[in-house]
Amino acid sequence: MFLKPKTKRNREIAFIWMLLLPALMVYLFYRIIPLLWNFVLSFSFWSPGKPFEYAGLYHYEEMLFYDDAFWTALKNTAVFMLATPISIAIALGLALLVDQKIRGRSLYRTLIFLPYPMMVVAVGIVWRWLYNDSVGLINYVLRSLGLIDQPIAFLESYSFAMASVMVAAIWQIVGFFMIILLTGLQNIPAHLYEAAVIDGARAHHRFWRITLPLLRPSIFLCVILGVIASFTSFDLIYTMTGGGPGLATELLITYIYKASFTLSRFDYAAAVTIVMFFLFLTLATVANRLAGGDAGKVDIAD
Amino acid sequence: MATVSFRALVKAYGDLEVVHGINLDVEDGEFVVLVGPSGCGKSTSLRMLAGLEDTSGGDILINEKVVNEVAPRDRDVAMVFQDYALYPHMSVFENMAFSLRYRKTPKAEITTRVMEAADILGLEPLLQRRPKQLSGGQRQRVAMGRAIVRKPQVFLFDEPLSNLDAKLRGSMRLEMKKLHRRLGVTTLYVTHDQIEAMTLADRVVVMNNGHIDQVGTPDEVYKSPKTLFVAGFIGSPTMNVLPAIRDADGSVRVGGADGFSIDRSDIPEDAPQNLVFGIRPEEVFVGETILDDKGPVVTAIVDVVEAQGPDTLVFASLGGHDLTIRTRPDVKVKAGDAVQVQLNISRSHLFNKETGRTL
Ligand SMILES: Nc1ncnc2c1ncn2[C@@H]1O[C@H](COP(=O)(O)OP(=O)(O)OP(=O)(O)O)[C@@H](O)[C@H]1O
Ligand SMILES: [Mg+2]
Repeated sequence: MFLKPKTKRNREIAFIWMLLLPALMVYLFYRIIPLLWNFVLSFSFWSPGKPFEYAGLYHYEEMLFYDDAFWTALKNTAVFMLATPISIAIALGLALLVDQKIRGRSLYRTLIFLPYPMMVVAVGIVWRWLYNDSVGLINYVLRSLGLIDQPIAFLESYSFAMASVMVAAIWQIVGFFMIILLTGLQNIPAHLYEAAVIDGARAHHRFWRITLPLLRPSIFLCVILGVIASFTSFDLIYTMTGGGPGLATELLITYIYKASFTLSRFDYAAAVTIVMFFLFLTLATVANRLAGGDAGKVDIAD
Repeated sequence: MATVSFRALVKAYGDLEVVHGINLDVEDGEFVVLVGPSGCGKSTSLRMLAGLEDTSGGDILINEKVVNEVAPRDRDVAMVFQDYALYPHMSVFENMAFSLRYRKTPKAEITTRVMEAADILGLEPLLQRRPKQLSGGQRQRVAMGRAIVRKPQVFLFDEPLSNLDAKLRGSMRLEMKKLHRRLGVTTLYVTHDQIEAMTLADRVVVMNNGHIDQVGTPDEVYKSPKTLFVAGFIGSPTMNVLPAIRDADGSVRVGGADGFSIDRSDIPEDAPQNLVFGIRPEEVFVGETILDDKGPVVTAIVDVVEAQGPDTLVFASLGGHDLTIRTRPDVKVKAGDAVQVQLNISRSHLFNKETGRTL
């Protein structure tokens, strides 16, 4: 079909494929092939320099029945994902605030959005400093206010490490969510609120009955992006805690990294990756289904 | 049942005053149409009445009670918007039930009232649909249904028909009229379409640039416009206007050298010299429609003849001034003809050129 573009339609199709091709190639080489390779690898024994051998479900059995670290990482990932609903709630609050006719609202919008484009590694380093027990700003402020006597080593503490990392993650993504929700808010016609005001709906009725339902697609877009971000927050964890102390902040993604590059267990890491992939796929599908299959779309009748 | 009044009502956005102290009294059960060109302040006035905009001066009264500070929900008015403002995520039923839910109406009563409104508007088969799945005309009905389930004191309509095609607009107009007769609710209706205004209104309010120029029955504003603006705005094709000069002897010279003189010794002494003479196209006679004693006969040159079916429009020029004539289709004139035309003086108008007001 590419080679004999006889009709106009064929030529058009060939042209479309030509334009798609570079993107498809990237997708193929960096997404599809590694995924398939992972799939094969997860059913094999292999590490660099060793021969390839069929392993069946060996790695999956080990992971599910013998590896406590995997379960810890899975549980931590679930906890870490709570950052998404929290971020969305905060972002919605901020979006409602900066959507008001207040002085300097575009400045607030910019300030809140600013962390998002920052490099995650940089965010991690800044927050590591903020949390530091001897020179960190947070400890300094808490001590100056007399709230604590002893400095807290947030990132080295079993009780605080996870929460601390989540705060940083939330801080970074909130601005992005706010922009998505703000766009959603501004797509809701003002007349709907006016009609509701005359109909007798008070502010909280309008929020629950009009704003929230009409923001649903935007909210679920945030959910999906948040789920992706929490599965892939490798950089943040790696720079802030490296998964520690112990396994306190170990997520699936950092665990996969360690299995591969610290322990050279590429085959086992591949099996964990496959599990993570399907978990992620399920969550994204569910979120999209809940959004009515149109996450990100604006649900306004013309 | 309610009366509505504006008392010296003013609206300003910052330094920009857009409604300049208007006065209006709407009687109980009356259908009043606010009409005027784009930007004259119709919507703004209506929105102040609904409570969607604050007033900048003066008072709004519903049932003789000042409501300036009353919240929209407590004014007991229902409004239909130009874009209908239907809640897109709710079914037709839910759209209509919405306001009742916030007025502590029992469930059974909500259903009864929604079904009642649906019956009046022929919406029963559509109750479970979303607004997206409706045609423009159907959406318009839902918007009306949402207003009538409330049984409000006052209906407010802001150009409710302007998103419909011409034919549908005609039939919806008729339905609105019937609906009003049936429910008898005081109604304020905004439009810039003068045909809508003339056909729907008990009284027409002609607005111009933030002022009310005239309030009157459709017949009054058509036959006795108080200002040049009203004369020009109401009626299609618009009223003919010719320059006129008042002479000392009480006669008025219309249309310059090629025009004619009329005796108007009745107009006051202190009236200005420069006047404007106005006459509707159907009050200008041509050919065999010319009658004795109706008024002066002069010669005009025909530019264009437009046969419209029931009547024919003749666009002519009288001493260099445009003159439109509405006549019977059997009157034979053609472009280029020099024809005799007669102006029905008893149906003509004289305006002060300076102020635009009638003498
Ligand atoms: N929020 C606002 N800020 C400043 N000026 C405004 C605002 N809203 C309306 N105006 C001005 O007030 C004037 C009256 O507006 P309004 O909407 O009442 O006109 P309208 O008669 O309804 O016209 P249309 O037929 O186009 O709807 C216009 O000149 C408009 O520019
Ligand atoms: Mg308007």
